[in-house]
Amino acid sequence: MNDNEPWEPFEKMVATRWDRSRTYKQETGCKVVGHLLPDVPEELIHAAGGLPVAVWGAGVAMSHAQAHIPGYTCSHAMGALELGFRQELDFLDGMVIPYVCDTTRNMFHIWQQCFPSKKNEFLRLPKRLDYDGAGVYLRREFERLFASIKALCGVAAGPDDLSKSIALFNKGRDLLRKAYSRQKDDPMVWTQARVIHLFESWFLSPKEEHIALMEKLPWGSEEQGGSGERIPIYVRGKVWDPAAILDLFDELKFVLVQDEVVTGYRVAARDGSLDGDPIDALVDRFMKTPPYPGYHFDPERMRESFVERVKTSGAKGVIFLNPKFCEAAGFDTPDFQKGLEEKGIPSIVLETSTRGAAMEQLKVRLEAFREIISEDLP
Amino acid sequence: MFRMVDMQVIESLKQLKQINIDYYLAAHGARQNGKFVAYVNAFTPVELLYAMDFIPIYPENHAVILGARKLSSETAAAAEGMGYSMDLCSYARCDLGSIRIGVSPTWGLPKPDILIVSNSQCSTLTKWFEVLARMYKAPMVLLDVPHSGDGERDAAAEEYVQGQLEDLAKTLENITKKTLDTTKLHETIELSQEASDLWTRILETGQAIPAPMSVFDQFISMAPIVAQRGTRVPVDFYRCLLDELEQRIQNEIGAVPNERHRLFWDNLPIWPELRRLSLFLAERGVCLVTSLYTWAWARLSVGAQNPFRDWTDQYLYTANLHLQRRIDDYVELAQRYSLDGFLYHSNRSCKFVSQDIPEVKVAVTKRTGLPGLILEADHNDPRLYSVEVLENQIDNFLDVLASRKKQAS
Repeated sequence: MNDNEPWEPFEKMVATRWDRSRTYKQETGCKVVGHLLPDVPEELIHAAGGLPVAVWGAGVAMSHAQAHIPGYTCSHAMGALELGFRQELDFLDGMVIPYVCDTTRNMFHIWQQCFPSKKNEFLRLPKRLDYDGAGVYLRREFERLFASIKALCGVAAGPDDLSKSIALFNKGRDLLRKAYSRQKDDPMVWTQARVIHLFESWFLSPKEEHIALMEKLPWGSEEQGGSGERIPIYVRGKVWDPAAILDLFDELKFVLVQDEVVTGYRVAARDGSLDGDPIDALVDRFMKTPPYPGYHFDPERMRESFVERVKTSGAKGVIFLNPKFCEAAGFDTPDFQKGLEEKGIPSIVLETSTRGAAMEQLKVRLEAFREIISEDLP
Repeated sequence: MFRMVDMQVIESLKQLKQINIDYYLAAHGARQNGKFVAYVNAFTPVELLYAMDFIPIYPENHAVILGARKLSSETAAAAEGMGYSMDLCSYARCDLGSIRIGVSPTWGLPKPDILIVSNSQCSTLTKWFEVLARMYKAPMVLLDVPHSGDGERDAAAEEYVQGQLEDLAKTLENITKKTLDTTKLHETIELSQEASDLWTRILETGQAIPAPMSVFDQFISMAPIVAQRGTRVPVDFYRCLLDELEQRIQNEIGAVPNERHRLFWDNLPIWPELRRLSLFLAERGVCLVTSLYTWAWARLSVGAQNPFRDWTDQYLYTANLHLQRRIDDYVELAQRYSLDGFLYHSNRSCKFVSQDIPEVKVAVTKRTGLPGLILEADHNDPRLYSVEVLENQIDNFLDVLASRKKQAS
């Protein structure tokens, strides 16, 4: 067995995106429900017997979408629309678009207009995380979504089914967290590109299969050193865009100690509780997961808690991987940077999009950033 | 250079200068007069604020004034120097930049006692207000309104929104140390209703041929219905304006001499080009007779019986101008206003109202047979578009309209 063999299935899943979901549907006849990522509780889809699969459009070259949505739209949303027009998402029976920003709100309506034959759902996530009524509201919204997906799948799933799904997802999240931690201890084997591929492919395959494949990873590999020379960093962003940035982190000897990317550590940051009502557990998980930039609580606390998370992580620098045209991330960044600066933590903003980011340019900027941080290291 | 067309000025609009001066002076003097200052946006309960001795201030309006006075390039660039990307809303950039460099025709804005923002308008304002709340170390309340997708009723969302509104009243009581006087609230609600009714009738005058007032004049005269709804000011001003418009209809005085084409304007204005585009279109006999933006303010009145319930409905359903409803509304307006076509402002700074324009345009043209033109620009940052390109596009579009009319006749 070559050293890369256990990692190959994940690399393949990321490279071929929806191939596995498509074949799984052919094999089982299950309903496949796509979603546009932030905070869609996939457990609800799984418990109803459906296959949840994430759709993200970053990295997709545009052709058809430009006739339907203006060019000043983030590549995540625009790319998803493009994939729809290219008929790459024809295998989806449903689509859940979470309301996290103005673009996702508009996307829901445009998507529905363009692809009316799918069962499209708009998941109205509350934004006000410091308000008790938000949890009460979210519970009813999750119940509504669960009912809709059960109707699509033709399955009468109940709380026990949902609890089983949460337990399965917790098992996967536990492995993902362990893998994330291994990249710090054994970065030669558990490279960032490999580890993040585990996270991304988590959204692209049946969870049972993914967990079985993760169990075959070289968990017992011996530490090969090298971590001491690496610079611990923290990343805030939406998705890993451009994807090759992870190889760049490895090449420049950065090591991710924490991130808030929706296809990164944020996926596994919190488990769902197995005590009590399973929908309450999902609500609680939502409320306690590091907040997405579109959510709100006391503005000063937003900045302070971000700086605290960075400090606790032990990161020596922060990379803001801001998608071009993302207003939520764009407004937070200057104040968050100021907060970091007050604590002596350097940061850099990389405004990324496949339409605008050149890898060479990113590399030069990250090399310069590395030098700035290195000077601060003992 | 433009040839000045013979436009007969609407006399009532001359009152606006003093109305605006009085408003900003009152805001700056709020504390000396025992009043409080609340930063707000559209779809916040201003009647409640006036009843509780708050003066509502719109940072958006401040940005509009900066744009109209040609100060937006300078102030927006200052915000970019603070780290705010050029892709962010130019209203926000202008306002933040103005604070940074102290450039403002309204002597800046008074510091807020509270910031209240409703995300039924857009999510950008929440983020902008978060920045302001940190800057001024003032409390902020978000009215979180979960958009019901296609406007279907959502009991869970209604409870969530109404609960937040009732809690907001308690928060305001804590700041003022006074309990809400319901008699006073009823008074402000009645004044607000009266202003909204008058504003609606003013917008409806655009159905007359020729239209006595263009959308450009509507944009200029919006400030009182936006900021002073709940006081006597808009009631007195709009009554006077309406009387004059009715007189103009009787005398067949149009906003544009020799009105040839009647168009709809979608989205916010391009504030820095308001005068230039107004003259450009007037010179060609084009009158913008109605618009989405000005109608938004005609739908904001609530009843005194159960205002919290009404505000909830309004923010959840009336403000939710989702794609299908927008298409239906435009089709209806096309008939009511005898439209010849649509100008859609694809506004880089307002993704909320702009991203679905391509779908709206296709659907509206399909249902009405009327052509539309998408103009990509920005509501406040002239560095993001070329006005000459916009004018060329409009000229080409007018050629299409002219040839359609010729064929039809």
